[in-house]
Order: sequence, then C-alpha cells, then structure tokens
Amino acid sequence: MNALPAPESLTSPHVPETVGPVDVIIDQAGKTFQTARGPVRALDPISLKIPRGAFVALIGPSGCGKSTLLRMIAGLEQPDEGGAVLVRSKHPEQFRKEGELGIAFQDPALLPWRSVADNVAFPLQILGRPVKRHQATVQSLIELVGLKGYEQALPGQLSGGMRQRVAIARSLVTDPSVLLLDEPFGALDQILRRAMNVELQRIWAARQTTTLLVTHGIDEAVFLADTVVVMHAKPGRIAEIITVPFARPRLPSLFSSPDFHALCDRLTESLHGEDGSQ
Amino acid sequence: MIAPSTRENARILFGTLIFFAVWEFIGATTSWGVAMVPAPSRILMQAFADRELYWLHGSATIQTSAIGFAIGVTVAVVAALLFCLSPGLELAFRGINIALFAMPAIVIGPLLVLFLKGDWPQTVLAALMVYFPAMSATLLGLRAVDPRIADLVAAYGGGEGKLMRYVRLRGALPDLFAGFRVAAPLAVLGAVLGEFGSGTRWGFGAFLLSALPQGNPARLWGIGLASSAIALAGYALFLLPARRLSASSTAVTLAAVQTAARSNGGWNWQRVTLAGVSVALPFVIWWLAVTLSHVSPIIAPGPGRTLMFLIEGRQAAGARAALLTALGQTLPIALLGLLAGLAFAFVLAALSLLAPAVARALLPIALVAQNMPLVAVVPFVVLVFGRDVTASVFMAMLVVFFPAYVLLHQGFTTVPRAASDLVSAYGGGRWKQLVHIAIPYSIGHLFAAARLVAPQALLGVMVAEWLLSGVGLGNLLNISRGGLDYDMIWAGALISILISVAAYEAVGFIERKVGR
Repeated sequence: MNALPAPESLTSPHVPETVGPVDVIIDQAGKTFQTARGPVRALDPISLKIPRGAFVALIGPSGCGKSTLLRMIAGLEQPDEGGAVLVRSKHPEQFRKEGELGIAFQDPALLPWRSVADNVAFPLQILGRPVKRHQATVQSLIELVGLKGYEQALPGQLSGGMRQRVAIARSLVTDPSVLLLDEPFGALDQILRRAMNVELQRIWAARQTTTLLVTHGIDEAVFLADTVVVMHAKPGRIAEIITVPFARPRLPSLFSSPDFHALCDRLTESLHGEDGSQ
Repeated sequence: MIAPSTRENARILFGTLIFFAVWEFIGATTSWGVAMVPAPSRILMQAFADRELYWLHGSATIQTSAIGFAIGVTVAVVAALLFCLSPGLELAFRGINIALFAMPAIVIGPLLVLFLKGDWPQTVLAALMVYFPAMSATLLGLRAVDPRIADLVAAYGGGEGKLMRYVRLRGALPDLFAGFRVAAPLAVLGAVLGEFGSGTRWGFGAFLLSALPQGNPARLWGIGLASSAIALAGYALFLLPARRLSASSTAVTLAAVQTAARSNGGWNWQRVTLAGVSVALPFVIWWLAVTLSHVSPIIAPGPGRTLMFLIEGRQAAGARAALLTALGQTLPIALLGLLAGLAFAFVLAALSLLAPAVARALLPIALVAQNMPLVAVVPFVVLVFGRDVTASVFMAMLVVFFPAYVLLHQGFTTVPRAASDLVSAYGGGRWKQLVHIAIPYSIGHLFAAARLVAPQALLGVMVAEWLLSGVGLGNLLNISRGGLDYDMIWAGALISILISVAAYEAVGFIERKVGR
C-alpha cells in the first residue's frame, strides 16, 4: 500500500501500486445479489492489492461486504461482470486446487464424526494427498495450537475455544501461501480471543504466510495486522486504508499501550465516517 | 439412596404390573371384558394352543417382509443417491414418489396379483411401502450438508465427488437408519395388506382373515399382538445403530449463516417440463408394465382403457354410480376420522404443555404405537366397535392420532425458549404461553401432520371397510377382486390413489399459503 510510482501498471489504473511480489490482486470486483425484492448491491467495485507476506485486516460494520470479499478470494463467490480477482496471478478456483490456500471461518465447521487429528488432515484428503506422509505435520500443528493429548478426541468433547484452534490448525495443514480467516475468533470471549490473537501472531511470524483476516474487533485488527482496510456499508466499499506502525513481535502488553489506544480510536473514527452518520 | 433411574425403572415396572393386573381382572371376570379384552392369560394360552399356526403364518410374513424390506431399502438408497446428484431427476420422479407415499396400499395388492406369482405380490407391496420413507430420510440426510463444510471442501478445490465421499455419505448415516427404523414396521404392514389381496394361504394377513369370523377374541388379540411384535422388532433392530451414530454426527455448533435458498421460486421452462414429466411418468410406467408383461388387456388394462371404462361403454354409467356411492360412504368417514384424530392429537399435545405429566406418560406409548401396523388394531376395533361405521371412524382416528401426536408434541417442544421466557417475564402463565406462543408456533406442524396422516386416514377406513363393515371403496375393491371385475379394480385403485395424492397436495398448498 505504498504510493511509489510503479514501473509499469500490473493491471488496471484502479489498483494501487505496490513494490515487491503481490499475492492477491482485486480489480474492480463488485458483488450484486439477486433477491426476491430485486438486486441488492453487497459490494461496490473495489480494488486492492495484498503484497506477499503481508497481514491485512478487513474491518467494517455488518453488511459492508468484507466476508463477500474474502469469499471471492477463496473462489466461493464470483465477482460481478467486469471485476476480477487474481491470487498469485491465477484465478482463485485454479489457485485453490493447488492446495496453496488455507481457510478458517467464524464457525470451526468440524466434521463431528472425525477426531481432532482427522479433522486437521481433512484438507489433505480433499486435495488427494496421502495423509500418512503428512502425519508429522498434523501432529506438529496440533501441538502448535496447544491441543497435544487431544488428537483422538471428537469435536463434541472439546470446548468452543479448542474447536476453533482445531480449525486454525486445519487451515495451516496444507502449508498454504495465502491464508484467509473469516472472523475466526468471533464466537470466543474476550480473554480467549486475546490469547488466540497472540497465538496467531506467533504462528504467522513463524511462517510469514500472506494473511487476510476479516474481523469485527478493532483491537484484534490493530494488534495483528500490518495494514487495516476499513470498509463502510450500504453499499460495501473501502473507506480508508490504515498502516499499523508497531514493531514485531507485538507483545500482549501492547494491548494497554497509549499508542495502541490512539490508533484504535483513529480506526473507530474511520469506521464511523467523517460525517459520523454510521 | 436409590438412583433416580432405578426409581424410574421401578415405577415403570410397577405401572406395567398394575396395568396387566387390571386387564387380567376385567378380561376374566366381566362379561364385556371376556368378549372385548380377553385376559392376558387367556391370550397366551390360546397362542400356545395355536403355536403351530403361529409358526406357519409367522414365518411366511417375516420372510415376505424381510425380503420386501431388503428390496425396498436398496432401491430407496440408490434412488436417494441419484436424486441427490440430480435434483431435476427428483422433480421428474416427484409424481411417482408422492403416489407411492399416498397410495392406500390395500388397493395395490389385488393389482400385483395380476402380474406376479407366489409370494411376490406381498413381497413387492412390502418393498413399495418401504421405499418412500427410506428414500426421503436418506435424501434428507444426503442433502443436509452443513453449508460451512461445503464451503470448506470447495475452498480446497474439492467438487461434488469429494463432498459426497467424505461428508454426505457419512453424514447421512443417522438419517438412513432413522428411515430404516420407520420403514421396517411398514414392510410388515405391506406384507399383511398384500396377503389380503393375494389370497395366499399363509401369513398373518391370511390368519387374521380366517380368524375374523370365528368369534374367538383371545385368538384375534393374539394375532394383533404378534404382528405388532414383529413390526416393532423391526423398528428396534435399527434403534441401536441410529443411537450410536447420532452421538458422533450431530453438528456441535449451529450454522452461523443460513444460506438462502437457491431457487428463486420463479417459473421457467425446465421446471414446467419436469413437472409435466412427473405427472406423466406414473401413467407411462403403468402403461409400460401392462404392455411389457403381456398380460391380457382384459385383466390388466392400460390407463386409456381404464379411463374409457368410466367414460363410455355400456357399463360406464353403472360403474360410475357404484364408485360414487362407494366414495360417498368412504370419504366423509375418512375426513371425519382425520379431523377427529388431528383435533384429539392437537388438544392432547397442547395439554402436555400445561400438564407435562400427560406427555411423560403418553409420549412413549405414542412413539411405539405410531409404528404399530394398522392391521394389528383390527381385532381390537372389531371386538369393541363391531362392524359398522363407528369401527371405520375409530380405525381412521387411531391411525391418525399417534403419528400426529408425536409430530405436534415435537412442534410444541421446539418453541424457542426465549419466546416463552418473554411471556413469563411479563407475568404470563402457561395458558398465555399456549395461546400466544405455542399454538402459533405449532400451526406449521399441524399442517405437516395433516399432510402426513391424510393418506393414512383413507387407508385406515378402506382396511376397515374391506375387513369389517362391508361398505364403501374398500369393500367395492374386495368384491370386485372376488368377482374378477378387473376393470373395476383398476378404476377403484386409480381413483383412490388420485384422491389420496390430491389430499396430500391440497394440504401442502394450504400449508404454503399459511406459512407465508
């Protein structure tokens, strides 16, 4: 999200230029849903670039189209005519077949009849990779999210936070180059959420995976992201892009620093819009 | 200290003992008791004396229903898989599916006899009865994929094949077994109803037919109880696997987002074409069966000839008059039984909300009784109500009541907790909750129940007419069967299936209108 003039435009003039390799290019992608009461515009055509290794947070009120945007990058929704989404120069549906995409939703969406280990290994099976050969990866991810000893437990035997951690481990099992997180901690309480934020930062720092996090939480966005994309609703659009200057690794003590709060307040203002109408 | 479960079990045991003691006393000492509710000891002694008959008839019915069940569920599971993969195919087969669900099974027996030999008419009827519940439960299970998991599979590049392999097939298992559980008693009912029509020598249907005129209450009760026991054993067989599976299959969290229905509800040519196909398909299959089997058109007329039989020709007026008279006797009674059964079920389900003890006592009985084959109540009905119209009404009420009660009770218990809490928070009592919350919430269930049991009411009345009262559509078919009046058998079967399907569709239509 740098304002440096680029050598030659990668795609269209709408997309802000960046330096270095770019993982996700969103070019004039909008989304209109057809409903019984006529078309509803969920997302104005928007453009955005996510550089390799970046941690970008999408934040905004309900109905601002942030989840729709994430789903378009995952290839679960198609942008309207005239828009395009490219992930590592490929069409999302092409990209995800290569197993380079990791995804976690607000709900863990675990298969209730599979153990923790089998749930974590599920993406491997979908991609047709041998699960046996990746046994060590599965085990290390389970340990990474702090579920050692629960490998054979069923989802029904776990707490909400533990299930969410299984979903995080599952999103990393394919060793993705792009990670999409759709409010993964939305259903957790504040204390657990902060602990998971610290954990996620640790995981991200170890792998430097390009990550897009959709969230409601202002503090979560500021704590985790390099760049926060603020969105407004009716129709969904990008209002502002804010760079987060804090050095990494960010410690839990950051949550109580005045600079952190100042930036959170700045974000809150941006969320409400200049006219304060939101 | 005694564990609560032990105390509960002791109470059930005690209640059961009292029940049998009272039954024994009434059945052995009062004169009406001897005639209507013979004492358990007498029923057992009679059954012991009849043990050879039980063995011969019982093994025939068990064999027929087991083979029919196996055929029926195999076809059902294959059909459910195909329908899941191709919703268009399901639309095209909708006519067949609804006809199979709504058909009064007793009219199919005499038709199957024309094509099939030996035990096959009963076996095929058992398979036909099994098909719909097993198919619809399996299809429901296959379709009910958590949308979030479908997204997950798609995000890793998995298509419908992977989704089917890893999610749908395993996820459908509890529904599959639930379907089998409901279907197993229906296989027994199908076998017995088939025996009425085929005139076979062995089987509980034949046993019941021969016992009805004998005036031996203990034997009649024995037959009813034994056929119930076989049917419920089939039900119990699939109870355990279903329990096992459901523990590891129910989603641990609720779906955060409900995906909107994909169809936009509009009319397009594809849907209209498929709807046309679905109406035509049953008649095409009828025509094909008649043509390909090379049975004489006098015995097995096609759709055209059956229609002509009612419209023109020298017997048409007489046939129409006979059918109309029969319908005039049957339909009011079926409607009366349906409404009375539904009303009774609704009131009792509502009462269970005011007095939970009623539900605790009634629900286990209803859960079991809704799976009893309706022929099993014939002995009870004939002994208590005789052979006139009251017997038919009661029969219809009885087959309507139990499934309707179970469904309505579910409706009353699925009322959101917060809604009833809201009424309590403003000082409203149970009555207020019932009037403002529970009844409005359960109206949908009332229609669902009506749709499910309306065909049952017609079947119940027709069975009573066939076996007991000697009037109406059931009787007309039985007489035509005896008199080898093939045209009338086909016409009667066609009319009763059409009425049943129309009733089903009409309730569904009202349900959709009210639901909006």
